[in-house]
Amino acid sequence: EYEREYAGGSWIPISECSPTTATICNVTEDISAPVAYKLRVRAELGATRSPWATTEGFFSRAMTSLTPPELRVLAEGQHVLVQLADLGPSFQFRLLYWRKGHESRVQQKVLREVSSVVHLDTMEAGAEYCVKAQTHVQAINRSSSFSPTQCVRAQGDTSL
Amino acid sequence: TAGNKIFHFGPCRVSMSMAEIRAGFSAIKANIQSRDPIRSLSILSHPHSLHKVKSSDRCCITHQLLSFYVDKVFRHCRTEDSFVNRKISSIANSFLSASRELGQCREQNNCVCGEESTEKFKQILANYEGLDVTSAAMKSLGELDILLDWME
Repeated sequence: EYEREYAGGSWIPISECSPTTATICNVTEDISAPVAYKLRVRAELGATRSPWATTEGFFSRAMTSLTPPELRVLAEGQHVLVQLADLGPSFQFRLLYWRKGHESRVQQKVLREVSSVVHLDTMEAGAEYCVKAQTHVQAINRSSSFSPTQCVRAQGDTSL
Repeated sequence: TAGNKIFHFGPCRVSMSMAEIRAGFSAIKANIQSRDPIRSLSILSHPHSLHKVKSSDRCCITHQLLSFYVDKVFRHCRTEDSFVNRKISSIANSFLSASRELGQCREQNNCVCGEESTEKFKQILANYEGLDVTSAAMKSLGELDILLDWME
């Protein structure tokens, strides 16, 4: 938006994608400010260039919709462990977990950094525990929907 | 981390992704400062540091400085290096967003400009206009961490 209003509508080339033969490019860092952006792309073949294809409307990261995290729940003896995909420093995870049949007593854990495996709780023998998770990005104050619930039973059961 | 920081100036508040701005500036600081041969003068700190501004004037001077960078500085800092240009663009857009946010509050007269902040900003403009525009813009951009430190 700055370029459009203060720099004569200039465009900023993104060197990782200019030129590139890949059909995908990570521009996250280039659109990190909370303003409206436009993106454009064109094809080149030798000296021939296609017209620019420009995004319709504007994109602002506040419009980002977050997808639920990839969650894996494991039972190891009496312990409930979870694995989450590391999405980078901008992401936090909110986990809700409860003992099956005790849905009124849901507990929460917020993870700001993701190590490989996280210990969630110690289970009572034979009990079944359920977990679901969502992502949160503080920079845009936005959360994803929750992942599907996964339940495990104590004493070595793996997730159902 | 992309940490948004909320600054409160009396009834006015402005949120800025300081971590991202600082990361962007750190990545280009050496490059920008190498383009500033005049070491004996400061745009922001001459003759007095920003820290001398009274807290009641912080809102006004912050808005004036954000607008100063948006209006006068970033546009004259285009370089031949696309990596540097991209980082400047991210910072400029963050400043644009913040200066708008603060500007809206200022329009509701919640951001009083006292004599001190007016005088201080006049001095900053005088320092800036005492140099040719590109040198002044590069020097101002090279001093961005002085502003960020003072804001935080």
